[in-house]
Amino acid sequence: MRSALRGRLTSYAFISPWLIALCFFIGFPFLAGLYFSFCDFPPLKVPVFIGLENYAELLGDARFHMSLGVTMVFAAAGIPIGVLLAITLAMFLNARIRGQSFYRVIFYIPHLVPTVVVAILWLWIFNPEFGLLNIVLAQVMRVVDGWAGVFFDLEAASAGAWFVKREALILLAAPLTLALTVWPAVPKFLRPSARLRQFLMTCALVLLVLALVPLADAVLHRVAPRDMAKLHAPGWLTDKSPLPSDVPFAPSWALWALIVMGMWGVGQMAVIYLAKLQDVPVELYEAADIDGANWLQKAWQITVPMISPVILFNVVMAIIGTFQVFAEPYIMTGGGPEDRTYFVALFVYDQAFQYQRVGYGSAVAWALFIMIVVLTILAFRLSRRHVYYAGR
Amino acid sequence: MQLMAGENEKRPSWYLRGIVHAILATGAIFFLLPLVWMAATSLKPLSETMKYPESVSDVFFGKGDEADIDGTAYPVVRERDIRPTPETPFHVVRPKEPFSAGELWLTFGPEIWKKADVFSNQEKTRMNTEVGPAMKVLADDKNRFDPKTGILTLRSGRKVPADLVREVTSAPPRPPATEGGPPVPDTLWLVREWRPEDTDTKEVGSTGGEVTRAWDVVPDSQIRRRIRIIPQNYQYALARVNFSRCLLNTLFLCVMCVGGAVCSSVVVAYGFAFLDFRGRGFLFGLTVATMMIPFAVTMIPVFLLYRELGWTGTFKPLWVATWFGSAFFIFLLRQFFLGLPKDLLDAARIDGCTELEILWHVVVPLSRPAIAMVALFTFLGTWKDFMGPLIYLRHQSQFTLSLSLQAFHSEHGGTPWHLLMAASTVFSLPLIILFFAAMKTFIRGIAMTGIKG
Repeated sequence: MRSALRGRLTSYAFISPWLIALCFFIGFPFLAGLYFSFCDFPPLKVPVFIGLENYAELLGDARFHMSLGVTMVFAAAGIPIGVLLAITLAMFLNARIRGQSFYRVIFYIPHLVPTVVVAILWLWIFNPEFGLLNIVLAQVMRVVDGWAGVFFDLEAASAGAWFVKREALILLAAPLTLALTVWPAVPKFLRPSARLRQFLMTCALVLLVLALVPLADAVLHRVAPRDMAKLHAPGWLTDKSPLPSDVPFAPSWALWALIVMGMWGVGQMAVIYLAKLQDVPVELYEAADIDGANWLQKAWQITVPMISPVILFNVVMAIIGTFQVFAEPYIMTGGGPEDRTYFVALFVYDQAFQYQRVGYGSAVAWALFIMIVVLTILAFRLSRRHVYYAGR
Repeated sequence: MQLMAGENEKRPSWYLRGIVHAILATGAIFFLLPLVWMAATSLKPLSETMKYPESVSDVFFGKGDEADIDGTAYPVVRERDIRPTPETPFHVVRPKEPFSAGELWLTFGPEIWKKADVFSNQEKTRMNTEVGPAMKVLADDKNRFDPKTGILTLRSGRKVPADLVREVTSAPPRPPATEGGPPVPDTLWLVREWRPEDTDTKEVGSTGGEVTRAWDVVPDSQIRRRIRIIPQNYQYALARVNFSRCLLNTLFLCVMCVGGAVCSSVVVAYGFAFLDFRGRGFLFGLTVATMMIPFAVTMIPVFLLYRELGWTGTFKPLWVATWFGSAFFIFLLRQFFLGLPKDLLDAARIDGCTELEILWHVVVPLSRPAIAMVALFTFLGTWKDFMGPLIYLRHQSQFTLSLSLQAFHSEHGGTPWHLLMAASTVFSLPLIILFFAAMKTFIRGIAMTGIKG
């Protein structure tokens, strides 16, 4: 009996630090925040209970709506792109080629750069006149414009006129016609082997991309002739939306810039996916090979389901993460242009530490917490049918 | 997918490998480019950062002028082109005695110093009040030079002995561009010797005014643009961000946080993994659930709590909490501990070890990689942390590197990019070195955080 008591005491002694933390650094602030959110709490005074007034103010606060919208747009655009990019990158990093560990290290390195450095570095990269991004972009767009100029008359495209050059029709249509006419005439035994066919398919894919690039460029010239010059070199962090101003919460260039910046750290997620990819049993792929599945089917039917728990985990963490984005907008834009990058964490920080409105700040924080919980539950619900837990 | 072949499968064919290599290499270049650009900018001269590059090498290397003066190549700064005539010749004079900045700048019109960003505002006002727009180069009608005695009489009345006197009346002709063509008249440039101080926007001119520089007049054809790499940027940048002090602050926090996180998390995780007590499942579930609470929710009350304790403006709010454990690491370590062979623990228990002894002699040696991972990630997190120091630290002498860098940036509105990049490079280098030193732990840690999640 005494030894049991002693055992229990030892157990509690072991977890006692965490119990203290749970009470004082998590539980108490958590509940205190809830209480403050129902209070008017001016600095250096005692909180006064005012019921739901803070929440009522929240509903009518245009600035809060803007910041919530900005955060949501950031999440809605950034998370899917990030997940897609990370999985693709992980698949490439999992390919059996030489020098793979070198590539893995390089893609992971950006994650090691401190947040403040990332913010300042990208502020410099996004510099509209002398920044790296616009320098590179200008060069790339010059090449793309030149390539598109072979097929399309871009000036005429900007004016909205018929703009396809005759050369384009010949260049695009001739190989197709040739293939269509010649193919049936090729005797069966001369037709390419599976490997050669694969090779030809790859070449065709590259050609397709090369054909689509000028098309996209020409369409852009036609659709947004005046904005085209701008598209080549926006002022990134200072520019508002390229869309009309009456579109609510339209992502501004500044927000896109932050999303692009976030993609720089995608290597970390990719490495997590990579670790999971390496756990996928080879037998599954072998079985699929026997069944004659192509790589797309294998990726979609085997790889994605097998790593789906990690995807869900990462998505949930990313949702929570977007509500904590603070250092980047704080340093880079200060929430600007016209609050288009005024993230909710910035809003809470301003309310609490700039305007000293503890009660209102707490209400905002709690509203965010509830939203996160709802979003997380939603993510779990929606994913229930799509996430495959092997052996569980 | 053929690309993702496992160990037993054959390698993908050569063209697929080639494509993968091409894509990965392109991606790698783009991922590294920002860092390369950071390092490149940190070594450029100030004037070169704010310039659209004309060539690829301009993107990565800053260039500066270099001129042959008396057979030696000096790094120089072009001040302006001058047009002497036989009636008003210019003397190029190098004074033997130092003279103050005000006297020196007397020789130039406001159109020069207004544009030059190397002067402080104070200096500019002084020059504006003392100098008229008509004044010209060093030895002219205002600062008289007597060639016989070799004495330069400044406008202030002070006499300065001078050497290296040269009279410039017209430019030597530039060699013809094409063979046989007529020689082209050359432009004369007034050049100033370039010094490492020029790289800083503030240090020049604020050193008390005792700045003497060698001046000269050089024909355009003798000035060459050369790559100029300036390691001194680092010296100035580190002085500006108060590096040694901030490094000590950051390291102190890192040590305290790493120690706290490791000690507390190991003990608590051991409790959750191996000890049986009522409410264990519930408490562990609660622990996992707290990971979902964003920082912003508890930020305000926690701040008020620390303010009540009188800890704001000290380091305590930033490290004390880590000594009570962190949910994420407790979770990770517990998962790791559960994978350890339980027989060992039972054997130790039969031998009469107390739980603490088991923890110290059995569990800790076995789970070194996991503990190293906790230490590493805590270190990384503390080193990178920005919001915590921003909220709790007040005085400049307490600033961590993150905060100091941000303060330096906001103070200058983002102009001295070369210094900012130099400080940034130094700030991120330790983490990258640490990564290469402890790559194995990193890789294992990342895999663990992802899979067990």
